[in-house]
Amino acid sequence: MKRLFKITFLSTLLIAFSCTDLEDELEDSFTEDKQFSNDGVSAGGGDSGGGALLAPFSRLRAGSAGNTGFFAVNSVTADDMAVTQKGGDWFDGGIWIQLHRHTYGSTHDRINELWNDSYAGIGECNTSLQSSLTPNQTAQVRALRAYFYWRLLDGFGRVKIITSPGADAPQSEREEVFEFVESELLDALGIPAVTASMDLSGSALTTDISNYRINQYAALGILAKLYLNAEVYTGTPRWEEAQWAAEYILDNSPYQLCGEGCSVPNLAKRPGVDSDPETLEGYAAVFAPNNENNPEIIWAIEYDETGAGGMNFNMMTLHGPSQLTWGLDEQPWNGFVVLEEFYNSFEEDDLRREANFLEGPQTDFNGNPLLDYAADDDDLVINYKPAINELEPNAIRDGGVRMKKFSFALFQRSNMNNDYPIVRLGDVHLMRGEALARAQGDWNLALPDVNALRDRAGLGPLTSLDADTFLAERGKEMFQESSRRIDLIRFGKYEDTWWEKTDADPAKRLFPIPQAQIDASDGTLTQNPGY
Amino acid sequence: MKITLLKNLLMLGAFLCLGLAQAQEISGTVSDASGPLPGASVVVKGTTNGTQTDFDGNYTISGVEDGAVLAFSYIGYKGQEITVAGQSTIDVVLEEDAQALEEVVIVGYGSQQKKEITTAVTSVSSEDFNQGTVNDPTQLLQGKVAGLTIVNKGGDPNTNGTVRLRGISTIGGNQEPLVVIDGVLGGSLNNVDPNDIENITVLKDGSAAAIYGTRGSAGVILVTTKSGKVGQPLQLTYNGQFATSSIANQIDIMNAQEFLATGGNDLGSDTDWVDEVTQTGYSHVHNIAAVGGTDDVAYRVSGNFRKLDGILYNSGFKQLNARTNLTARLFDDKLKVDFNSALTRRDSKYGFNEALRYAITYNPTAPVYGKDAPFPFASSQYGGFFETLGLFDSFNPASIARQSQNDATTNTINYSMNFNYRLTDNLAANVNFATQNIKKNRSQYYPTTALYLGNAVSPTTRGLANFLTEETRFDLFEGYATYNNTIGEDISFTVTGGYSFQETDYNNVFFQLGDFPPGVSFDFRNSIESSQDLSEAGRITANSDRRDGDRIVAFFGRLNATFDDAIYLNASLRREGSSRFGSENQWGLFPAVAVGADLNKYLELDNVNLLKARIGYGVTGAIPPEVGLFATTYALNPGTSGSDGSSTGQGNRAPNPDLKWEEKAELNFGVEFATDRLSATLDLYTRNIDDFISLVNVDAALFGGIDTRYENAGQLKTNGLEFTVNYDVAKKENFSYNTGLIFSTYKTTLEKNPQGDQVIANLGSPGQNNTSVILVREGEEVGQIWGPVFTGEVDANGTPILEDVNGDGEVITDQGKALDDDVDFEVLGKGLPDFELGWTNQVTFGNWDVNAFFRGAFGHSLVNTFRAFYEPIIGSQSSYNFMNTKYARSDIKTAQFSSYYVEKADFLRLDNLSVGYNWNIDSDHIKDIRISLSGQNLFTITGYSGTDPEPVLQDFGDNNSANGEIVVTDGAVNTGTANPLAPGIDRRNSYFTQTTFTLGLNINF
Repeated sequence: MKRLFKITFLSTLLIAFSCTDLEDELEDSFTEDKQFSNDGVSAGGGDSGGGALLAPFSRLRAGSAGNTGFFAVNSVTADDMAVTQKGGDWFDGGIWIQLHRHTYGSTHDRINELWNDSYAGIGECNTSLQSSLTPNQTAQVRALRAYFYWRLLDGFGRVKIITSPGADAPQSEREEVFEFVESELLDALGIPAVTASMDLSGSALTTDISNYRINQYAALGILAKLYLNAEVYTGTPRWEEAQWAAEYILDNSPYQLCGEGCSVPNLAKRPGVDSDPETLEGYAAVFAPNNENNPEIIWAIEYDETGAGGMNFNMMTLHGPSQLTWGLDEQPWNGFVVLEEFYNSFEEDDLRREANFLEGPQTDFNGNPLLDYAADDDDLVINYKPAINELEPNAIRDGGVRMKKFSFALFQRSNMNNDYPIVRLGDVHLMRGEALARAQGDWNLALPDVNALRDRAGLGPLTSLDADTFLAERGKEMFQESSRRIDLIRFGKYEDTWWEKTDADPAKRLFPIPQAQIDASDGTLTQNPGY
Repeated sequence: MKITLLKNLLMLGAFLCLGLAQAQEISGTVSDASGPLPGASVVVKGTTNGTQTDFDGNYTISGVEDGAVLAFSYIGYKGQEITVAGQSTIDVVLEEDAQALEEVVIVGYGSQQKKEITTAVTSVSSEDFNQGTVNDPTQLLQGKVAGLTIVNKGGDPNTNGTVRLRGISTIGGNQEPLVVIDGVLGGSLNNVDPNDIENITVLKDGSAAAIYGTRGSAGVILVTTKSGKVGQPLQLTYNGQFATSSIANQIDIMNAQEFLATGGNDLGSDTDWVDEVTQTGYSHVHNIAAVGGTDDVAYRVSGNFRKLDGILYNSGFKQLNARTNLTARLFDDKLKVDFNSALTRRDSKYGFNEALRYAITYNPTAPVYGKDAPFPFASSQYGGFFETLGLFDSFNPASIARQSQNDATTNTINYSMNFNYRLTDNLAANVNFATQNIKKNRSQYYPTTALYLGNAVSPTTRGLANFLTEETRFDLFEGYATYNNTIGEDISFTVTGGYSFQETDYNNVFFQLGDFPPGVSFDFRNSIESSQDLSEAGRITANSDRRDGDRIVAFFGRLNATFDDAIYLNASLRREGSSRFGSENQWGLFPAVAVGADLNKYLELDNVNLLKARIGYGVTGAIPPEVGLFATTYALNPGTSGSDGSSTGQGNRAPNPDLKWEEKAELNFGVEFATDRLSATLDLYTRNIDDFISLVNVDAALFGGIDTRYENAGQLKTNGLEFTVNYDVAKKENFSYNTGLIFSTYKTTLEKNPQGDQVIANLGSPGQNNTSVILVREGEEVGQIWGPVFTGEVDANGTPILEDVNGDGEVITDQGKALDDDVDFEVLGKGLPDFELGWTNQVTFGNWDVNAFFRGAFGHSLVNTFRAFYEPIIGSQSSYNFMNTKYARSDIKTAQFSSYYVEKADFLRLDNLSVGYNWNIDSDHIKDIRISLSGQNLFTITGYSGTDPEPVLQDFGDNNSANGEIVVTDGAVNTGTANPLAPGIDRRNSYFTQTTFTLGLNINF
């Protein structure tokens, strides 16, 4: 018995010593060995480029229509929007004030997000391109990658052009990044250059309407945007190419301005409030929560409250009690406001004023006055007044009208359903008009395009234009579409003085490259001048 | 080795032969007060002739000459020597020796005599434990061990303290010391009732802990539970405690009158919100233990019941714990089997720390109930409570505390078995099997009438229920063998070699849903099929995790040698592998060596009992905080509308296949000194943490936009000193007074930081996001609070004027420029204390005893976040209450972080004062009774204006998660990763401190 025990005992010890297995299978993470094609692309692909393109395209959602990244840095730096400091609320280490006053530095989280979000999109595209894609899918992914690089080109100028996963590249000059974006888009379109008589029949991109994917018109729209700003990016203007690219869309595509008769049911209509319209029509319909099939949208980012979150304008801009107006899921944060001067620049019967802004005394779900028991002005009723007392430190909490272009829906969750256009026909009109006017040196040549949009907005036509009036028209049309900073720079107005902003340093046209990235790059990244 | 063994045997044989002539045989019994002592040693002094008593305490020894001296000894007892003068029977009764008991110290995989210890080890026995109501075993040691810091900020009964040994031991790895319960490592201290603990030993330095490899990097706490004795008659013990707790301190806030006087919004009432959400906590604890043993079996069985109320309304726990320790001997005592089991079931009511937070900031003129609102208010929608609707981050604390539920049930089960088999007199083999299973069911319920997270304001979606089920399984198998022998007269040695296998399996399931039918007063957690969320896509949040096979495998060996009974050598080597690394980097090698010398043996100083010097060096490792960091992982992206519904993945982690062991090398030098009355220990150490694992910035362009990953990222160095002194001021039969002082200090420097300087630890919302208050800079100390300096002046707008620190005529205080050369920031304080003190006083006179224990920490500062957010009289904040500390100024109207909110937090606290009386009854049924009264946290001397000046050793960020307790908000399971590089921030989630009075009753039957 004792011996038997002794033997068992010792052999147990020996057996134990032989177990040195340290392989760890990650049960709760998706790794490459999980029958999960390592390129992140599913087998099918599908007609609309569904599954195969989902991963890279869904990277667009981050920072494009929320309080972070691309949207924040292109909007809060401009003369139409601000994030006021309401006492302790929204000071956030001064980052919003820095954006507004152009005093941002290289450790700014919003600017870092622009960098990281863009490279996240680029990384996803690079991974996707490693797999077997159809020529159309390849063209789409390359065009999408070019769009992400355009964001970097516009924001930072000098960046690394990474074209395959994990392969480092030197920091390119801004001109080189421009050329890369241009050539990628031209390749996708199957043409050597944009001309007045180009033939896109060789393009791997289709002409099918596909809001969330890139067709020929979407690629041309990005190209138009690129050429329109070419002088800013490279010092060399490319007005004609911008004009031709936009014109091709206007002349050949099936898209239409959403005007009279183009309407959707108003999802924000409160059952007991008669003054709420039943439908949203024209301009307002383009950005409504149910805008998914709008005829004006060429390429948009798909947002959805379930599974495709990222748009949170409701949370960013509305004051807390406004939750009760539409029965929103969560209490909003009371951050982003519209500048008084910009709001007042709208003509009174401009339909876009009603569509873009939430102004005046507010009511609750039943139409009764909406009260703020904690009001810091003398009025208990929530009243979004155009005037704002100050940017910081104690801005009145319901001061400033609020942005409502991407309008709300009853019982909306904190993630909204509205799709966010990257290229839409209204913008294409303005790009064509401006490019033509600049190419020919006569702003009046932009009148037809400008007036088409004014007409849709219920306004009479203008009879003459100059750079300033054109920029003002563009500002009204493109509010809340991440365009204003870029436009101000192109028109040489970024250094102007406006409300609570006096900085005039042209170096601020480019954002600083994130210091953390420079530190992590082993000397392969250097800072932009002026930071 | 063989030859030596043979020689010894021959020598022994020779002795026996020689002695036969005049020698005689002597037999007898060795016992103690309670019965026979098996295993006691009987030796003929000056010879190697000796034997041990059997299970009945009987012995027989032959070859004893007349006039020889027989030495009887047993561990934990005073030895006796008896000269043989013709007797053939000698019975001996040994007396217990309290001091001697401590002389055997449990170390990794075995025990050593205290004198042989060459490393920094501190052992604390039950009689020296902290008294009063102690729920967390680590609190028994608070302030008792130099270098061991235990912080339980506030006094939340549902959270464990943060335990740190010698400061930061790792950045990326586990910072809590390894717990070894009765030789079984990895056990949960929550499964040990403090009443069942006999002794706690702390292995402090690297050379002591290296035998445990990875898991010993943050130090080792060895817990020995009380056990039975062979041959001891059944004995019953009862321990009971009855306690009340009340708020000791809270930050000063304005009352309604003060609030109105500063222009606060008048809502017409006068409410003491703190009073509304707190209670006096009544607690009782009962422990019954049965101890005993037969000839071959010894046992101890205990049952513990605890019911505790926190000072926060609706918080506390009920706990039932049962422990069984069983020892059996078989095969002529060659085999010893230990079987231990423990079961704990704890029903926790967490309450809501948010209620405490909002009680501080809620408008003091607001009414508790909606019916008292100064304007029409739909009370019924909010369960009768008032709410300041529309105000950011403002919720009626009484509504939170009373309407919502926050519960958990935790079941912990441990089994362990140890087989010790003595193969020969010199060789023994050990096998350990242990398993531990912790299952936790956590749930929260916010009724449809709760505004906070219940969304009562919503016309459609009200009520919320959260469920989290977690299971952690831990399996341990260890086998080792020990061989001991002597070489010649002067050298004895022990060699230990073994293998260890540890596996942790973890899984959890979380889900969240809501939208319950309004108007029904019912806890819908128990009927979630009533949730409307079930009928709408995307409304339910659900997730699950599984991490199985998280393994550590190790081989280890150790040599202990003693020369001349005065010079001691301990050396160990452990080769350890972890599955958390990529296949190339799994294995690490961890050596340790230490020597010590009993100098007094050679110096022979008068009146000195002990003078020992020792020096040790050891390397331990740390593994990354998560599994699988070497692999790329993907977020699965399910197809949505507009796609063909197929799924794709997006990379969501920058992998690091090169991640390797973080290594900590520690050099420790110690001196121990003792006279009859005085004993003192001094330890000096320096530790270097190389290749520490940390989340660092990487080039986002290369990692698909992900800008951080875990890397081996730098080097930390800590130098420290620990000093312990004990003195018997009086040592008389009827009166004794012992006092002891513990002092520790350390300084940690960031030697290398390849990722460059950083500012970390964001203050948070409202309004102070992107406000980082801790500086991380190469070559400098860890934990520097960094920011602008307040001049004491305010401008016309009420904005504090900040100082031009560098005197360049320009005041640059932008957070974004925090690291620029021209920034006007400076170090505003240190998060870690300069030194910590513990001062023990034990007085006995007659049957009375008094214990007073003071504890303090000095030199550290705290960022008082309550003040930073809520003290400035901000116009737009006039609907929140303001802090009203001694620093409050009515002219500051802007909240901006500066030196003004960094306060020195030195403190000295009377941690524990207890008085006890002992009756020796010695009746048939009751042997003795002890009654004691203890007060905990009786007073604190400090200049700090916040709730608790206790240092904050690490930062969990600005969420409601105190001490890393899992918080479920907005669908995310947040385990709160602690950052040890950001000490010194007193976040807004603190529980109030409490004072507890405990009446204790102890009966031995």
